[in-house]
Amino acid sequence: MKRLRENTILLTFVLPAFLFYFLFVLVSASGGLYYSLTNWNLLNRSYDMVGLANYVEALTDDPVFIQSLLFTLKYVGAMVVLQNGLALLLAVLVEGRKKDKPFFRTLFFMPNMLSLIIGGFMWMFIFTRVLPYVAEHTALKFLDQSWIGDPIFSFYSILILSLWGGVGYLMIIYIAAIQGIPAALLESAAIDGAGPFQVFRHISFPMILPAVTIGVFLTLNSSFKVFDAVYALTGGGPGRATQVVALNIFEEAFHMNNRYGYASAKAMILFLIVFLITMVQLWVMKRRELEA
Amino acid sequence: MKKRIPLSSVLVLIILAAYGIFTLFPILMGLLNSFKTDGEILTSILSFPARPSWGNYIRAFDKTSYLASLFNTILIAAVGLSGIILFGSLAGYKLSRTPGKLSALFFSLFVFSMLIPFHSIMITLTRVSLKLHVQGSRIGLGLIYIGLGVPMAVFLFHGFVKSIPRELEEAAVIDGCGDYRIFFRIVLPLLKPIIATVAILNTLWIWNDFLLPLLMLTDSDTYTLLLSTNMLFGEYNNNDWSAILAALILAMLPVVVLYLLMQKYIINGISDGALKG
Repeated sequence: MKRLRENTILLTFVLPAFLFYFLFVLVSASGGLYYSLTNWNLLNRSYDMVGLANYVEALTDDPVFIQSLLFTLKYVGAMVVLQNGLALLLAVLVEGRKKDKPFFRTLFFMPNMLSLIIGGFMWMFIFTRVLPYVAEHTALKFLDQSWIGDPIFSFYSILILSLWGGVGYLMIIYIAAIQGIPAALLESAAIDGAGPFQVFRHISFPMILPAVTIGVFLTLNSSFKVFDAVYALTGGGPGRATQVVALNIFEEAFHMNNRYGYASAKAMILFLIVFLITMVQLWVMKRRELEA
Repeated sequence: MKKRIPLSSVLVLIILAAYGIFTLFPILMGLLNSFKTDGEILTSILSFPARPSWGNYIRAFDKTSYLASLFNTILIAAVGLSGIILFGSLAGYKLSRTPGKLSALFFSLFVFSMLIPFHSIMITLTRVSLKLHVQGSRIGLGLIYIGLGVPMAVFLFHGFVKSIPRELEEAAVIDGCGDYRIFFRIVLPLLKPIIATVAILNTLWIWNDFLLPLLMLTDSDTYTLLLSTNMLFGEYNNNDWSAILAALILAMLPVVVLYLLMQKYIINGISDGALKG
């Protein structure tokens, strides 16, 4: 009887949240899974079950989608290394400052507050107007590139924009991790004659390694889903050279043939990738906890 | 003893200053050129405006229906935020305090959905919202944000409630207090720190979200700041930079002001959210 009463009260507390969650997330997610097995598109009223045909087509017969997967992979790889490396470097340097520490922290984090749509348009101005101007009027001739129109350089511009927006976020996480290192540990190492590099290598770095794991997986997760930065800066161009998976899904569903069923299959593939990454993350973190 | 500045500290300062310039460069260039005419941008992009004028701002203010867009953004965020905080804290609290299978099932359902990328549900979500008649409506969009945002809020509240002792609630039960009264009178005030974190994370997310409003809002009267800015950008298509830059500065203004006023809370909220989430 007590259990029944308890569960009834539980339901009244959980239901409002669950209702919204059910309507907009669960229904959409399971609907997406179902439609991914159909040939549903906006042009036809009826549709049929086609099994895994959409998945097979996406992975074997859709060079554009496969290219967007490969490009996203390249982007993710670059971001994991550069974003975490830069954030860690800045965190260590900023944390070593005394009076101007809050200033640098505030400054470096600021771009993270802005939408990458706004940031992307701002950088578009830099890439298409300011840099060519600087190249023309100064000795910095190498800046005269087709930053948006050339496939290789547009990859760099997307990276620059993404790093500009994202490094500050990871830096904050790394700063919190560095602050968690007991001061006594660092002091005793310094008294024992360890130099700043040795202290970092043998004490600070091992202590913040768990935060690095978090940082790497946060980057993996967010980079696989990248959309705004690419949409604002290149729109996936030139041609489809910088089209990422999320943009490919968006175009397939809303701009090209409205092949909702097919686009849903691609969306499920993206989900599986992100799901897999998280599972690996949980496994890695669990193993580390057991070792510790 | 003579004070000497070690070389390494100069090097550190140079690196930090260089990254600072990188951070500010696009914003400063945008600000500087937003006060120039298009001709002046063409001929002297790096110099201070010869005759600074507010003309671009007036044009951008007009073109983006700035006040209306700002109001729309605030309305959507307010609906989403109040639902996320109220429903999220109710659910997170009770799930944390109730043992048993049903409670664990609900909790794992909420947590599982945090793994689903938005892009994986957006196609069906547009159909669902059409069927539920929330498509095209600002309030409706706010309601969708409740659904999308509530799982993480439940997760954060659930974790926080675990750290508050039960004694107060138990004493209230003995005094004959009902469940809802206990929640609103006793528990909710104790949740203030985590409410702040949830509020900051979700405000930033909703304020800066672009794709969902793009899919949901069709009438330009209902556009958010980002959508109006995007529309203006598309219209001038990389040409009328003076107006575009002014619009960009206007669009980032509310967030930058908020950040400078509340940066301590925001940075704490962000790092709390990231490390617990």
